[in-house]
Amino acid sequence: MFKGMPKIFWAGTALMYGWIFFFMILEMTIPGFPLKKFMGVPACYIYNWIIGLWLMNIMISFLYYTFEEKREEQIAARKNRKTQDAPTGVSGK
Amino acid sequence: MGVNPIVILGAVLYFAVIFYIGWYSRKASMDSSDFYVAGRKVGPIVNGSALAATYFSPASFLGLPAFIFILGYPFWWALVGIIGGMPIATLLTAAPLRKYAPTSFTDYYADRYDTKWLRLVAGIPTLIGGLAYVILSIVGTALFLLAILQIPFNLSVILASIVVFAYIYFGGMVATTISTAFQGFAMTVASVLAAGYVIFNFGGLNGLTDAVLANSGNFFNLPYVSETASHPLMATWTGVVGFFFVWHFGFSAMPYTVVRFFTTQDIKAARRSVFWAVTIGGAMYGGLVIIGTGARVLIETLHPLMQTEGITNAMGVLQHMKTAYGVAGASVTDYSMIAAVEGLKSPFLLSVLAAGGLAIAMATASGWTMVLNVLLGRDLLGKVFGSSWPEDKPVQATRVMTILIVFVCMLFAFKPPALVLDISGAAFIVILCSVGPPLILGIWWTRATTTAAITNILVMTTLSCGSWMYAKYKLGSYHWFFLSDPANKISTPHQFYWVFVGFIFFIVVSLMTKPCKDDVIQKYSLDIRPEE
Repeated sequence: MFKGMPKIFWAGTALMYGWIFFFMILEMTIPGFPLKKFMGVPACYIYNWIIGLWLMNIMISFLYYTFEEKREEQIAARKNRKTQDAPTGVSGK
Repeated sequence: MGVNPIVILGAVLYFAVIFYIGWYSRKASMDSSDFYVAGRKVGPIVNGSALAATYFSPASFLGLPAFIFILGYPFWWALVGIIGGMPIATLLTAAPLRKYAPTSFTDYYADRYDTKWLRLVAGIPTLIGGLAYVILSIVGTALFLLAILQIPFNLSVILASIVVFAYIYFGGMVATTISTAFQGFAMTVASVLAAGYVIFNFGGLNGLTDAVLANSGNFFNLPYVSETASHPLMATWTGVVGFFFVWHFGFSAMPYTVVRFFTTQDIKAARRSVFWAVTIGGAMYGGLVIIGTGARVLIETLHPLMQTEGITNAMGVLQHMKTAYGVAGASVTDYSMIAAVEGLKSPFLLSVLAAGGLAIAMATASGWTMVLNVLLGRDLLGKVFGSSWPEDKPVQATRVMTILIVFVCMLFAFKPPALVLDISGAAFIVILCSVGPPLILGIWWTRATTTAAITNILVMTTLSCGSWMYAKYKLGSYHWFFLSDPANKISTPHQFYWVFVGFIFFIVVSLMTKPCKDDVIQKYSLDIRPEE
């Protein structure tokens, strides 16, 4: 199951679920956690609104497509090398 | 409150742009490839914006702020869940499905499971979810037309149906992709601008938070660490986590977004379009969080109707809208987002918001109507029952189906069965638990079988629809676990657990039944995965 899924997929999902459930657990164990001040505003605006909702997902989707494009370039380069190295069948004489 | 010419002008400008795009692209919709998948010529930014506009519906634009208004801060996590589910689609379904390059949503089921009857079976939950979505889109369009024109709700529903019908009738996938991309931009600008107004009105995020706490002291309360929950549905972790998961996997497996992966130029564009959809959609959701958070305090301190005799709180304002304009069913709570912006008393802002709201409603209506058109016409009439009409005359077939779909949905929209976000949640769970596992595991698991696909779709559609309605009938809300003791109810929003049960059920049945043929598995599972 999921054979061939790029490794970056698992790294991205681990980051996303890790971030979200870490802060959910903190909220349900530390009284008033969302309203504790961080960078001058209630912390929930930073970890939930700005990062959890937006920046983290932009970063993950960016990583997903850039890593895949790089991986595909490497595969294409490898194939090219193989094609060039392969015997052409033309006599050197 | 009366009709404001600036608000009308904003709506007229919006329609002018939309119909110009439709007119400009009319010649591009004349063959079936162009009509169904936009000739596979759409670039990542346009497709990303169109993806965001299609995926986010009035359930987002009206429903999410309304639910934050009702349930408080813990519901912010539901919005994080929706956007957080989008990047997953990049590699899970977008790239493989673009590599496979089908025309319609049910193509994959018929090919991967090697029977045309899966078109019919997969079509059942898709039809249920699709009709629900067109209904809520017509309701959303009607609520915004009501805000613009101040006309009775029933008249708004008829007008909204005509607008949605005309938009799809003259379009097809080319026009709807380009104009939907514009709509993605319009709705994001509207949401971000409105959030900016709200934050500025309270003098910053600290001012907004203080005002919300002064108005509603329980707003930021969470389960287990506060004496009183922000809302009874948010009194246990299952409520918070459940709402997070209701819409979370939708971007990967809902038909109206999956088909937009088919329209991109190539796999690279499909992956990049998810990035743009996250960027655009995330910005819009950021705005919706702020509007929903400030909605109650804005309505209760600034709305013009709060000076009216007898109205003492936000629900009173909404109740007034219900009686004054005949808004039917539960939909009046969906008006809370518009009422909050009305409180800011800026005709310019209201005109931008109305344009954004119309944009999001029409984009979703068109996206879903196209899915249903293709399902009923090309897939069922054509591929299952052998009619050549949908392939020979795709434009005519699509227009006939559009008339049927919009008319049926208009009848339901006169009295919506639930809040727009509740209709959306039900549609998501029904589709995700039934057709989600055969789609995702069909790509990523060679052992997925035809018997499991058929059984899973039929069993999960029945269980999710049945438990959802039973919970409402027996316990008064779709969000309680349907077998709960009425004296000690457990919050399981929209019976979300069926999505996970569906995957387990599909795996178990697959392991017990005969696998598909090797050449089918090779072509529709192994070959569409990333090259190693």
